Amino acid sequence: MEKIQEEYGKISEKYCNHIVQYPPEVSLCAGCTSCEAVCAMVHDGAVSPSLSRIQLERGTVSMIHTIHACMQCRDHPCYSACPKKDKAMCIDEKLGIAYVNQEECVGCRLCVKACPFEPKRIRMNLDKPRPKAIKCDMCRTRPNGPACVEYCQVRCIGKSEDPVPVDDRGRTQGLF
Amino acid sequence: METIYGYAGKIARINLTDSTVTDVPITNYVPKYVGGRSVANRIFWEEVGPEVKAFDPENKLIYMTGPTTATGIPSGGRTVFTGLSPKTLPEQYTWSGMGGWFGSELKFAGYDGLIIEGKAKEPTYIYIEDGKVQFLSAEKLWGQYVHETQEMLEEIHGKDVKSIVIGPAGENLVRFASITTANDNAAAKAGFGAVMGSKNLKAVTVRGRGKIVPADIPKVLELRKTMNNPPMRLNPILNLEGVEAGANVNFKVPGGVKQAQVACCYGCNQHCDRMFLDVKSGTSRKKKNRVEKCVGIFAMDFTENCGWMPNQTFQTEQNHSAPCKTLSGDMEPPDMTDPYAKDLFNWRPADTVNFWKGNYDKGNVMMDLCNQYGIDKWEVTVGLFPWFSMGQKEGVFEGMDFGMPIDVESEEFVRYILDMLVYRKGKYGDILAEGMARAVRILGKEKYGDTIYHGRYSNVIPGKQLDIPICMETAWGEIFHWQGRGYQAAIDITGWLPCSLQLMVSSRDTQTVAHFHSTWDYYLAVKDDPYHNRLVPQAVIECETREDIKDSFTSCEWQAPDHYWPTMECEMFEAATGYPMTLEEMEEMAIRSRLTFRAILIRNYGRDREMEVNAVYPGLTYPDSVGLTADWDDWNDLVDLYYEERGWDKKTGWPTREQYEKYGIKEIADELEAAGKLPG
Ligand code: SF4
Ligand code: SF4
Repeated sequence: MEKIQEEYGKISEKYCNHIVQYPPEVSLCAGCTSCEAVCAMVHDGAVSPSLSRIQLERGTVSMIHTIHACMQCRDHPCYSACPKKDKAMCIDEKLGIAYVNQEECVGCRLCVKACPFEPKRIRMNLDKPRPKAIKCDMCRTRPNGPACVEYCQVRCIGKSEDPVPVDDRGRTQGLF
Repeated sequence: METIYGYAGKIARINLTDSTVTDVPITNYVPKYVGGRSVANRIFWEEVGPEVKAFDPENKLIYMTGPTTATGIPSGGRTVFTGLSPKTLPEQYTWSGMGGWFGSELKFAGYDGLIIEGKAKEPTYIYIEDGKVQFLSAEKLWGQYVHETQEMLEEIHGKDVKSIVIGPAGENLVRFASITTANDNAAAKAGFGAVMGSKNLKAVTVRGRGKIVPADIPKVLELRKTMNNPPMRLNPILNLEGVEAGANVNFKVPGGVKQAQVACCYGCNQHCDRMFLDVKSGTSRKKKNRVEKCVGIFAMDFTENCGWMPNQTFQTEQNHSAPCKTLSGDMEPPDMTDPYAKDLFNWRPADTVNFWKGNYDKGNVMMDLCNQYGIDKWEVTVGLFPWFSMGQKEGVFEGMDFGMPIDVESEEFVRYILDMLVYRKGKYGDILAEGMARAVRILGKEKYGDTIYHGRYSNVIPGKQLDIPICMETAWGEIFHWQGRGYQAAIDITGWLPCSLQLMVSSRDTQTVAHFHSTWDYYLAVKDDPYHNRLVPQAVIECETREDIKDSFTSCEWQAPDHYWPTMECEMFEAATGYPMTLEEMEEMAIRSRLTFRAILIRNYGRDREMEVNAVYPGLTYPDSVGLTADWDDWNDLVDLYYEERGWDKKTGWPTREQYEKYGIKEIADELEAAGKLPG
């Protein structure tokens, strides 16, 4: 358990607080896709994997699923690439993370190109008259914090800054 | 454009004969039929007549989602197929449920459902992307296993697609072939995989980038937390010493067992499926992960049948919990202050059957082969191999050459038999591919079906021998299920009698989406004479109404109904669509759906009282786990009460014109009258 915690600690030197998936020994993703559903719902008032800031890479046959959300890089290359920075791509000073103001986004996709990850952690919302960038904003305005974490029924995802959860039924005992 | 809440808005009519696609507005059926199975019933009633056979191009495979599918409401990810089933005996219209992500993806692609009709000239698969439907050649996919087919489709169309596919069994018209989607979710019981095969349809693959808008998002989020009080706990991979699946399947496994829980469908807030990790595969050297619910566990060890605790069936306000929690191990501890707690949690031990001993590898291979060939695990686990086990012990196979000595304990034998039937090899492969019910009739039912197995013993009355036929067949070609004999026999008469009544008026096993549930008050009231108590048919009708609700709105058997929250689906519906619905309106819709289903059975397949009473009764003459059997007159008295409670004619079992008209489907009554199928 300490080892896992240490690993997340290291990540946080390069990245701000971001959504992480715990190893299956801590909690196996149940594949319920609730994280995707609630993310799109709280941000865009609809259910759609295309609008979700968190992406579930599904193992159709292996049934081992991987989640991808923005790593919230401390040097935020997406922000640097944005031609309308501080209007479209903005920085939340308190959290240190980049977020998109969809109203101002011109849909140039430069932030998507600048994202160093595959799959890209910024996607385009094509449900608007003009495409708009969307990315995980850690649910910065939600009083309860990240919706995906709140609604993950097996608590296999969490905030990188939080301690790795311990099974409330003590089942993880002896697993490490 | 005005936003439609909940629904995608249209159904795709896909004609494989002439490769055409037509959009059918969902409003042709909604709101009279809400969605899911109810809409499918109406479509089938309107479009498929009595002359059609299961493998005819004129048979239609209908696939429907519900208004809650893809809305983020838990259990809305459940979906349903209907059509004329090659599995039921005789062939009848029936349904088959499926979880997974396919239904939601279909809605994101713009469709609430599919009507698949006709027959393609060549092996074909359908690719649907954001409202565009293509007919593509399945030449390279034909012959492939289920998992390989899914992976090939993801290679061709990208990792984000969702598919429903058939395996070699569906291609070879094995009558119990399944349709499979991701996460080992399958629609297996009706043999619709063979209907796809008969249409030369290997798969339907979907990619949807659109959205579904729920009307009331705060309510959706609230339901996520209130529906069956989700455990919200970690789901670590457990390292167990062996299989620990309830009281009846427990055995040590050298090297241990890795197990966790998973969810079956899009947006669920529970995780009732068991996943076994790194298990032996039937088709490759690499280890695999596999998902099981209940019956697959018995593939690993079938020494004893499944036991029963009254609380599984009967509940009190103090002690009630959704079935999904039983499987995930998240049941609340019993509330022993309940005056009935002692009786509610009084475990009734299962019969000893001695079909086969615990063998983890063999069981996993058997189930992986079912997944890969695309066949119903039920038919294999509680039909086929128990038949071999019992028949061999009773000497009925003497002089028969299956090409390998019968040995149900051997993995080789399991592989051999499944390969033989899936590819219809030789005389016996061809016969077994017809399914147990048809196979024993081809071979001679008296000997190969009805021979008594002398190895079933009661554990309620220790040592009491309980006769059971080697083919554990009940009505409509199904295997007994929660009926006091056959599989899950431990339930007592207050449970198996209503289960049998449910089966009687259905066209397949109902204890999958309509497990019989009632209250402990019911139990106390009927236990002394269940044949002559109106509460029995009333409870059955309640379960049947709930069945149509679940499969139409859609919600899940493992989460619903909650006897103490009867309006749960009303709230789900309103959150999804914005339309308020009262409990009365919801039940009215469900009964309309049920009458439509009944009308199809009556018009197309000659269903009447005589047919259904005679289909169910013979099985009830075998002893339950304390030795009880049903008496012909008692059984008929109960059937009388059921028809009376329904307002149907007792002589024919046919609903009256008043019933159809009361539920707003006069046109169905008119057509039945013209066909001479309304009671005189
Ligand atoms: S933290 Fe919020 S924005 Fe980020 S993935 Fe989770 S729900 Fe979506
Ligand atoms: S909510 Fe949790 S369990 Fe469900 S898919 Fe997302 S990460 Fe997996």
